[in-house]
Parts: sequence; structure tokens; C-alpha cells
Amino acid sequence: MPVFKDAEQLYDCIGGVLDYLRTDETVSVAFRKSGLVIRFKYSDPDSEITLDGSQDPITLTCGPCDRAPTVDMTMSADTAHQFWLGKVNLVAALTRGAMKAKGPIPAIMKLLPVITPAYKKYPDILREKGLDNLINV
Amino acid sequence: MALPQLFEFHVRPRILYGPRSVREIGFEANKLGGTRAFIVTDKMLRQVGLAQRVADGLAGSGVTLVGIFDDVPPNSEVKVVEAGAAYAREAGCDLLIALGGGSVMDTAKGMNVLLSEGGSLLDYEGAGLLTRPLKPFIAIPTTAGTGSEVTIAAVIRDEAQGLKLEFNSPFMMPDVAILDPELTLSLPPGLTAATGMDALTHAIETLVSTGTQPLSDALAIGAIKLIAANLRQAVQHGDDLEARGAMLLASNMAGIAFSNAMLGIVHAMAHPCGGRYGVPHGVANSILLPYGMAYNLPTCAPRLAEVAAALGVETRGLDDETAALAGIAAVRQLAADCGLPARLSEVGVPHEGLAQLAADSQGDAMMMTNPNPAGEEDVLALYERAF
Ligand SMILES: [Fe+2]
Repeated sequence: MPVFKDAEQLYDCIGGVLDYLRTDETVSVAFRKSGLVIRFKYSDPDSEITLDGSQDPITLTCGPCDRAPTVDMTMSADTAHQFWLGKVNLVAALTRGAMKAKGPIPAIMKLLPVITPAYKKYPDILREKGLDNLINV
Repeated sequence: MALPQLFEFHVRPRILYGPRSVREIGFEANKLGGTRAFIVTDKMLRQVGLAQRVADGLAGSGVTLVGIFDDVPPNSEVKVVEAGAAYAREAGCDLLIALGGGSVMDTAKGMNVLLSEGGSLLDYEGAGLLTRPLKPFIAIPTTAGTGSEVTIAAVIRDEAQGLKLEFNSPFMMPDVAILDPELTLSLPPGLTAATGMDALTHAIETLVSTGTQPLSDALAIGAIKLIAANLRQAVQHGDDLEARGAMLLASNMAGIAFSNAMLGIVHAMAHPCGGRYGVPHGVANSILLPYGMAYNLPTCAPRLAEVAAALGVETRGLDDETAALAGIAAVRQLAADCGLPARLSEVGVPHEGLAQLAADSQGDAMMMTNPNPAGEEDVLALYERAF
């Protein structure tokens, strides 16, 4: 059974951690510098989130977005959930096909060290929403 | 040692080794179902007659040679790949043969994507975007270092954007790799040394990578032994077929190893030296390898002690750290014996460029699997030391 019951719940949780990153100072500076527009395309449930670092302030769109992405990251919602719990090795996920990345990989890798502190934040976000049961899934 | 929780080990090409094994190419091409073969190479290799040897190997096999594309520069570019693919398509090719070093291999990988899937090369920039096998593809390396004949990656420069693009997919791997040491006899000493040190860097970085695993370890240790015993000879006596063969195998083994276990800080630091200042890849690795090993030593002394033993250092009675330091000294000595420079200042890197190089290194995927995490300042300090 998928971790998230519907797209709404995914937007609440994964959208929540991405929104935290959007407003975090270190991350937003690095992300603005990259100028990337990253579209995350999830399956089970089908959903998408776009993080647009090409403009100030950075915008987050849950659901379809008009901005053309520079990077498309495709994965199952469960993989995204595991990623934010710090349980996914990005390189292994890319080589094993659990994630697909279309676009400049070095630009994504460069952002990784600044986003990993959010691994600590994600369980807090789940707890705040009363979804403690998802933390150990 | 604890085994990793989950790992995979992929090796696609069937590997054929031996002096004059290039004569088997017709048989191999036939077996892959090819009828119209197309060679990708460079002008120099064609001039010295190596492309002709491949053509001779195809003769009488029922596989026709329909064209040779020899316009591959030392660092491949998007427009080169597109031109090559257009030429091969026009010639009606159904099987690709790459004959050359890393740039030729990468060009052929990119061409195969376009020939098989169509579209524009930029559509495939990234990881995991291909979903099915491409056209049959045979790789014949003429340098002993990059290991590209067994890796899933290609790096191709886009002049329009001034960027290096990365393409990663298991489907880009060749189906067959033919390792014929006779084809590497004409490689000059400087290139032999630099590419050999690239292979050594692959093997050593694989062993300390966070992606390390028993299958890649065995190949990496084997590669280090072969390089320690044969690189000097291959550089100083280029006509020694045994030494050439050992280096070709070592490069191949290290290539399989790192393709599975990934690399580390030395490559992450060497890539920007090439990107910004054109330092040849193997030369940059050779200069930076001792510094990268020393930086990682606190996190992996036992592993580096194994490296030292494989390099031929007498480690009996030494504690791990002392053995590891002796291994680092052995790497330095090997590079010096092969006539390679020891400092970045000797290869055209300006001191004022170091900070930018350190910033660039942070975007390199290889940094992710380095055992001792390194931020921009750590890397800058290492560049300073290597300057
Ligand atoms: Fe390399």
C-alpha cells in the first residue's frame, strides 16, 4: 500500500518539507544561485510539485505548473518519502532506476549537501500533521 | 568487515582479451546480429592504421563496413555526436564499433542513443532515461586508463552552453569489449603514464568509496597489483606487449570496479582542473591522488593499508596508518618514475583559480561517495597543498 493516501496528503507532507527548504536561508541562497526549476513528478499517488528557483522569492507549486522545468525528477511517492527520511542513497537510486533525472545532474548534486539537513525536519513535519505513523514506514 | 545491506554489480560487456584479438571482430559483430558496421574513431588512429585492422577483422564475416567517422576531438562535443549519428544513419548502420580512448567511446555511446532512439542528444541528459537496449555496440579501447569500454556513463561537452553534460544509463554500455594490447603499442609514454595513473586512481578510490562492495573490491585490488607491476615498464618500454596487456586489463578491471562502487574526492577535484584549465584527466588525478588519500586516511586507514600491500609495499609489522602512509609514498614514487608532474602549478593551473576549482568540486557527483566528507574549504586547502 502506498504511504500517502492521496495527492492532498502528499502535498501536505512532501510539499511541507519543500516549503521549509524554500524559506530556509542557506538553501534558498544556494537554490537561487542555481537558478533551477525542478519539477518532481510522483506516482502512487500521481502528483507533481515544482520548485522554481529562477525568480525571487522562490515559488512552490503543488499540482500542474506552467513553468518549463530545467530538471525533471521522476519517482514514486514512496521513494520521495524514504528520501526525505534520509533512507535513500541518491546515486544508487539513480543507477537502479528508482529515480530518474532529466537535466544537469551536477547542478542537482551541488544542492544535495544543503538540502540534507531537512532530513531532520521531515519527521517533525509529519508529527505536526499527526502522521507519526508514517515515520517508520 | 560488515557486508553492505544492498548492492548490485553490473557488468554488461563480454570481454575478449588477447594480442590480435581484434581479428575476432567479424565473428563478434555477426554474433550480435549486425550486418552493417560503422566505426567511430579519431584521425590519428585511422592514420596509424588501426581502423584498417578493424576493417580487416570484419572482412569475410558477412558483416559489411558501411562507414568510418574519424572526426572525434580529444574532448567530445554535442555537435560531433550529432554529426556522427547523422553520418551513421545515412550509411544505414546497424552496429557500432568504437575504436579509441575515452572521448571516442563517449561519442559512440551518444551516437548509439541517437541512432536507436532518435531525437536530440540534450533530451537524454541525466540518469536512467533510457528504457530499452540500443543497437549492438562493440568497444575497442586504444588507451589503458579510462575503462570507458565497461562504464555506463558518457560526458559530452555542449559548446553552445559551455557545459559538460552527463549521460548515465546501463543501456549505454557496450555489448562486447575487445582488449587487444597490440592496439595500445603506439601510445606515447606521456599518455601511457597519465592514463595508467587514471586507472590506478579508479582502483584506489573504489576501495575507499562509501559504495564499496566485495565484488568491486576484488577487481580493484587486482588492478592495483597489475598497475604497480607493469606501469613503469609500459611507460619506459612501450613495445613490451606483456606490460601493455597487463595495463589494458588493469584499466578494464578498475573500470568495472568503479562503475559499480563509484569514486571520490580525487576525481571530484580533478574534473574541474580539466574543465577550467584543460589539465589532462590522468595528469590531474596523478597529482591529486596522494593528497586525496591523505585526506581520507583518518576514515579508512585499514583500507589504505590494503592498497599499500597491493602496491607492493612491505606492510608486515606496520600498523594501518603507517602502512597507509607508505602506500601514499609509493603512489608518489610511481608517478615520479613515470615522469608525471607532481604539482598543479606545473600544469597551467593559476593560483588565483584555486577557489573557483574548490567551488566547482562541490557539484561533482563523485564527491557524494567520498568516505571523508569535504566542504569547499577542505578542498581548497588540498588544492593549496597540491599547488
Ligand atoms: Fe578517471
